[in-house]
Amino acid sequence: MSDVILEAFGVHKTYLSGDRRLEVLRDVSLTVARGESVSIRGESGSGKSTLLHLLAGLDRPDSGEVRWTGTSDTGTERRAKFLGMVFQSFYLIPELNALENVLMAIRMTGSIGTAECDRARSMLARVCLADRAHHLPAHLSGGERQRVAVARALINSPQLLLADEPTGNLDEKTGDAVIGLLLELCAETKTALVLVTHNAAYAAKTGRVLFMRDGVLHTV
Amino acid sequence: MPWYLYLALKQLFPTGKRFPFFTAISVLGVALGVALLIVSISVMGGFGREIRRMIVDTQGDVQIRSGGLINDPKALMGIVAKVPGVLGVTPFAEGVGMLEYNRKPVFPAIQGVDLNHVNDVIPLNRYIRVGSLDALDDDTVILSSQLAYSIGAQVGDKVQISSPLLIEKLKNDEVFLPRELTVAGIFEIGHQQLDSNTVIVTLRRMQDLYGLGGAVHGLDVRIAANLDPDDVARRINAVLPPSANAAARSWMELNQDFLFVLQLEKNLIFILLLFIVVVAAFSVTSSLLIAVVRKTREIGLLGALGGRPREVALCFCFQGLLIGVSGTLSGLALGFGFLACRNDVLHLFTRLTGSQEALVRFYQFSNVPAYLSTGDLALIVVSTIVISTLAGILPAWRAARLNPVEALRNE
Repeated sequence: MSDVILEAFGVHKTYLSGDRRLEVLRDVSLTVARGESVSIRGESGSGKSTLLHLLAGLDRPDSGEVRWTGTSDTGTERRAKFLGMVFQSFYLIPELNALENVLMAIRMTGSIGTAECDRARSMLARVCLADRAHHLPAHLSGGERQRVAVARALINSPQLLLADEPTGNLDEKTGDAVIGLLLELCAETKTALVLVTHNAAYAAKTGRVLFMRDGVLHTV
Repeated sequence: MPWYLYLALKQLFPTGKRFPFFTAISVLGVALGVALLIVSISVMGGFGREIRRMIVDTQGDVQIRSGGLINDPKALMGIVAKVPGVLGVTPFAEGVGMLEYNRKPVFPAIQGVDLNHVNDVIPLNRYIRVGSLDALDDDTVILSSQLAYSIGAQVGDKVQISSPLLIEKLKNDEVFLPRELTVAGIFEIGHQQLDSNTVIVTLRRMQDLYGLGGAVHGLDVRIAANLDPDDVARRINAVLPPSANAAARSWMELNQDFLFVLQLEKNLIFILLLFIVVVAAFSVTSSLLIAVVRKTREIGLLGALGGRPREVALCFCFQGLLIGVSGTLSGLALGFGFLACRNDVLHLFTRLTGSQEALVRFYQFSNVPAYLSTGDLALIVVSTIVISTLAGILPAWRAARLNPVEALRNE
């Protein structure tokens, strides 16, 4: 399947907790196609975030394999151009304003010029934060911070966006707005989305819903 | 600008926020260390320079001595004067004698100077405190300040001077009477040994006291300011006739033990005060370690954005470097600022403690000398920046070792 950009085969992951071995993921397999949106639901501690970290290449599976088939880049640029990440706790750098936080994702792969600044401003405008570009994270609301994080995740036009409970720290109304924006932007830019969420309503808005229970991924 | 340098700058000096407390403390620690180094090394350098100037003023830049006596000083002076770079040559004779005033005998070093040439080499006028060098002739003498004070002699008083020749003559049943000389002046150089035990007479009087005839003990040579005394000494040695059995040596070579002690003292002060910078560096390490702990999740994010452990480490190393550079610049401003008003501080201190006279009496100065060579300045700047950068290595290593997944999970 040429449109597949991410493949995971038979992934196992175990953590040691004191003397106990916790089997967090058991034989998980997943493929994500270009522009597809997939949600993964499940209870806390079921292994959703661990799977997301493995898919992002931040951690390695004990057995099995994760392949990024949608990119031929190498090095630091490979990650930046292939995937963006959004987290529950936003993780904005407090010393940088909204625009600088978005530009940080570009800085990781190259230098900043006028074109890059214009691109970041456009992205902030797209998430309705044009007038908050020079505000520090401490002066933004939770919803605004998460929108800055979304802009940062998408600024390099990645093929895949991994979102780990992006509405977990937001009220319902703000959460709705962020999820709406996320889905809209991914559809616009043909970016595949893997959304980890507790919320059944948000999951239902994606093209495919998966359920994680005791480390095993089930199709709903 | 690489992202890790940009982030290091932003974390230390964020825009739109107050100067971070931890950064301020770290920079201040380094700045105080640098300021103290600048002030101490400058004052040490100032004293050293004064002492060196004093040595050159009393001995000349180069001194020519023979194993015994120089019997034809005029011929030798003619040869030496032609050496390129030589500005002046003066002969001298020296020895120990007995000086008696009001039945108080002392045994000073007697220096015989040639009044026709001495001013070309040794600026004696600069050090005359009472009386005048012009009043010095074969019947007068100039005493050093502490010697005059100890025997109670003043300008116009008569003193008796005799030499070991008195004993030599007695062996041959001859009589050699002590010479009665009038005190024409009192000098003070600022060197404890010279000021406490030296008298100056004319060369002719010294030749008479020691029975030297026309011979002298050596020649003092003044050279052009921009020349190396060792080089000129080598040039002089190359033209000295072997029959003179004399050798020229620079003032550095003649005083190498003393100069070594001066340098050793300065080096020890530098090393001891550098420990202040080392202590400040521990404060930098501590601040950066706290930053690593506080920013664990951000470090995890940098990994998620594609930052490599090496780059994360560089970010914290750069913070150490930037603290070092900022602290050094602030320390330089602080140190040079203090040096600019050092004399006001000294005068205020001596006025408060009533020690102004004691200062002048014991140290022969009323102002604090200061001199900082380019080499010393470079050494202070480079060593401080290197130490501060090294202070960032441990936090950098800790940050680089953080697993992004665990860092992102950190609460």
